[in-house]
Amino acid sequence: MVLRGAMMAWLWAVIAAAPSLAAAPGAAAPPAADAPAPAVGTPGPDTAPAAGAAESPGVPLPDAPPSDFKTLDQEVQGMKKDVIDLNKDLFVLQEELLFPANTQVAVYVSMDVGAFFALDSVTLKIDNKEVKNYLYTAREAEALLKGGVQEIYLGNLKVGKHELVAFFTGKGPVDRDYKRGATIDFEKGVGAKYLELKITDRVTKHQPEFKIKDWD
Amino acid sequence: MSKTPLACVLALCALLAAALPAAVPTLVGKAAPDFVLKSMDGRNLRLSEYRGQVVLVNFWARWAGDSRQEMPALDRINTTYHRAGLVVLGVSVDEDSRRAHEFADAMKVGYPILFDTTASIGRDYLLQKMPMTILVDRSGVVRYANVGFKRGDDRAYLDQIRELLRE
Repeated sequence: MVLRGAMMAWLWAVIAAAPSLAAAPGAAAPPAADAPAPAVGTPGPDTAPAAGAAESPGVPLPDAPPSDFKTLDQEVQGMKKDVIDLNKDLFVLQEELLFPANTQVAVYVSMDVGAFFALDSVTLKIDNKEVKNYLYTAREAEALLKGGVQEIYLGNLKVGKHELVAFFTGKGPVDRDYKRGATIDFEKGVGAKYLELKITDRVTKHQPEFKIKDWD
Repeated sequence: MSKTPLACVLALCALLAAALPAAVPTLVGKAAPDFVLKSMDGRNLRLSEYRGQVVLVNFWARWAGDSRQEMPALDRINTTYHRAGLVVLGVSVDEDSRRAHEFADAMKVGYPILFDTTASIGRDYLLQKMPMTILVDRSGVVRYANVGFKRGDDRAYLDQIRELLRE
């Protein structure tokens, strides 16, 4: 048991000494400009002006993480950024492939004021076929009231004439159940088509108003 | 001569295969499919809005007798662990929403009851037997899928909930 304990102690000593061994002047690895400062972990008067010290001027604090960790952290952050960039590119590519501009139709929902209407759901029909039924949570409705614009539908349509019907349900004035529809006939051209469902307040009549705007 | 022992072995294998429960496909380890459903009080609730909290989704049906036992147990769990960050959602898969409303009213549970009248959410969650209780962790991953309910199962739920709340 004593021998085993001594062996363990020796192993720990070897492991603890390993970085300083690697940083020794006689080590096989040649010093490189982007290599971590060899003696950051054990700073001394001779090692302070090392090549890597330019990146971290001054004497490092005892609690500061070793430069190896810093480099690793920077690499991880770089990789995260690469993944985000790649994800963005893939998303754009997917959109272009699934919804090519010449057939693309996008429908958005916006809400202004909303004093006379609390949105509950929107149902969309294109050419008499239901394409979307969306239930709004309180948070989503609040986001719309704060100026948010929601892409409720993205699909493909052939070039030509089409009809969009939108049904809005919710609570109207005096907290009554409210259901209204809005219709638009639109011409789908070669380019992408953008339509906006606008919910506004008609102050003079104390009623909500539902419009569909064609963004040509 | 050798046919009789072979037939016995085959028959034994067949019996064993019938006795062992078939592997039930569940969503454990996968992201919980998002849904938005209307609740009994008229609000629309979306699962993904509870990200960051532990969510227990209990699929129930009026015709499933075990639901009648399970719902009071879940109500007690909700009362105790709601403050600790647990969200309990009951999802009715009854086609007849009026009768499901009546049933839920009679059960008098304190957690939100939602209605999946089209059974589309049930399909997403691979429901096979009612009731079914799913536990979703804070990152939105299904961690436990409990099929059926018998007395004492709520103790297992508590262990699972405590584990997820600690994470």
